Amino acid sequence: MSAKNTWKLHRWSTILLLPLVAYLFTKIIHLSTLPYQLILSELSNIWGVGFILIFTVLGLVHMNTGVHEILDDYVHSDVVKRILNLIISIFFLLILIFVCLSLLLIFIG
Amino acid sequence: MVQFNLPDNSKLTDGDYYKSEKSNGNTKKFKIYRWSPDDEKNPRMDTYEVDLDDCGPMVLDAVMKIKSEIDTSLTFRRSCREGICGSCAMNIDGTNTLACTKAISDVKGDIKIYPLPHMPVIKDLVTNLKTLYKQLKSIKPWLMNKKQNANDTENIQSRNDREKLDGLYECILCACCSTSCPSYWWNSDKYLGPAVLLQSYRWLQDSRDEERNERLKELDDTFKVYRCHTIMNCTQACPKGLNPAKAIAGIKQMIAQQ
Repeated sequence: MSAKNTWKLHRWSTILLLPLVAYLFTKIIHLSTLPYQLILSELSNIWGVGFILIFTVLGLVHMNTGVHEILDDYVHSDVVKRILNLIISIFFLLILIFVCLSLLLIFIG
Repeated sequence: MVQFNLPDNSKLTDGDYYKSEKSNGNTKKFKIYRWSPDDEKNPRMDTYEVDLDDCGPMVLDAVMKIKSEIDTSLTFRRSCREGICGSCAMNIDGTNTLACTKAISDVKGDIKIYPLPHMPVIKDLVTNLKTLYKQLKSIKPWLMNKKQNANDTENIQSRNDREKLDGLYECILCACCSTSCPSYWWNSDKYLGPAVLLQSYRWLQDSRDEERNERLKELDDTFKVYRCHTIMNCTQACPKGLNPAKAIAGIKQMIAQQ
């Protein structure tokens, strides 16, 4: 991806995450007042699953571009940078898989 | 990796103390970074007492007085002594600025003077600006207009277009901004830095220039522009009151719109 597009992606993901983070906080406060069964039904409906997936994907994209920026800033060895990039990509992929599996478990009850 | 500690041969030591002969009370201590490539000693901080009753009002006046009356070995750059040439850029009282426009009275207590930060030191307060000039050359800081060259006619610019260059053309390339930028400290070999990018924006904004797209294409690089993280040290340091951070934001916007 070109430098321009990476920069745009980082900025757009920031802008899109702002309302999502605000919604997440209000949702957490709301869910904390509900009994367990109601929380499960709230999370397992299509809106709940959709929100969590979009938030996770956007958050991971934002974190990924952000971490790459930090690596570009401070790590000057190409080999070290490549290894760290690989570790970070695997870490983010594991988070995505974990979120998807959790949602699946909630969804199928 | 980034080096966070100074190597052993760069660690500062206490230097000599030069007491003022005519001590009438109105003296100020100048602590100045000294290093010479001629010996293998570590850099040191020499302290000079300067009689302010017999000295001009600016830091450069005091530094010149030290060189001519106290210690002739002190090395620094200077030329115009009125903020036009940018030669006497140094780190005074923790801020990169021009010694000729910084008043002694603006600094409370002892005045500490270092060379511009994170640059290779040639001697004392003189730094090596070779990389900066190389980077400046890379952005082609001249008007590129084939039509005008072919016709040899006057290249007219509207008043509005000319106004777009205000706040850009005044840069004197003193390097105070670039050497105050942490991103430039870490990646000065690849990141162009605020001084050069301000110059680049000056040519991008020039209505007479025909190579805007080519210039922008050259700048669209992970390191050349995008190492700027809007820290704004450059804007705070600029002794001419310019805003390199805004110019860099302008470049990013132009690249995004391309």
